[in-house]
Amino acid sequence: MTTSKRTMTLNLTDAEMRVLEELCSKKDLSKTSLLRQALRLYQLVEARIEKGDKLFFEDEKTKEKAEVMML
Amino acid sequence: MTVTISPVVLRKVATNEAIDAELRDAIEQQQLFDWVLHWQPALYERLKALAAARVSPDNWPQSAHWNWVAKLNEIKDLLAHQTLCVVCEGMTQGLMRVDTVGKRCRLDSQKGLNLVYIDYLEVAPWNWDGPYFDPPRYRGIGTILLRAAIEIRLAEGFKGRIGLHSLPQSTTFYERCGLANRGPDAAYQSRLPYFEMTPEQVQAFLNRGSGK
Repeated sequence: MTTSKRTMTLNLTDAEMRVLEELCSKKDLSKTSLLRQALRLYQLVEARIEKGDKLFFEDEKTKEKAEVMML
Repeated sequence: MTVTISPVVLRKVATNEAIDAELRDAIEQQQLFDWVLHWQPALYERLKALAAARVSPDNWPQSAHWNWVAKLNEIKDLLAHQTLCVVCEGMTQGLMRVDTVGKRCRLDSQKGLNLVYIDYLEVAPWNWDGPYFDPPRYRGIGTILLRAAIEIRLAEGFKGRIGLHSLPQSTTFYERCGLANRGPDAAYQSRLPYFEMTPEQVQAFLNRGSGK
């Protein structure tokens, strides 16, 4: 099962490329896979926020919550 | 949106013959029509048979309350989810919804890595197997959908890692497919058992299907 795809060029700074490579290594994903994953996550977060939901990080030990402000 | 259709083969139980079918990488309007107009009436017939046989509702099919229209609406236009279905002889035979963003691996060997989480996988009521039902019409649908979830993510670099929470009535199916039962998940509704597949188990499953 193959879905057709389109190609684009992405320009990144050295710092951005370094972060991308670190994340790829950490997540065991290719650059393309990681960026596609990031796009899915970004869209999901945006959709929830547009619905009125809030995004929080919770400290597992203290249960303290910190809201992530999405601009 | 263009739907990719791949040829697959199901086993027609009544005649024991191989029947051509389609694996489609999206659940579309027609599948929802099939669910409303054919799956639901068939479900009620089967529930009536169970009630007539005085089978306790505790032992009724555990996916009987699933509403695929609602499940599709929840994820409308979201890239984080993907749906697949199997169609045979003009009728939807199985449906699946997966999440590629919201869940992470739990096994120590792959903890925190991305996986494909199977939200829901269901076959049409006439394909159910059970003592109070007619023999299933087709076999092989669940395996095809499971394999499709693995293969799509192999292509995306996830190395096919998959996870899911299984309804208790389905655990035997997933164990037969080679997924390891990690036991009841205290953090999940109804403490459903959690299954996760490593790349090695994925490869064994794929090899088995291809006869290697």
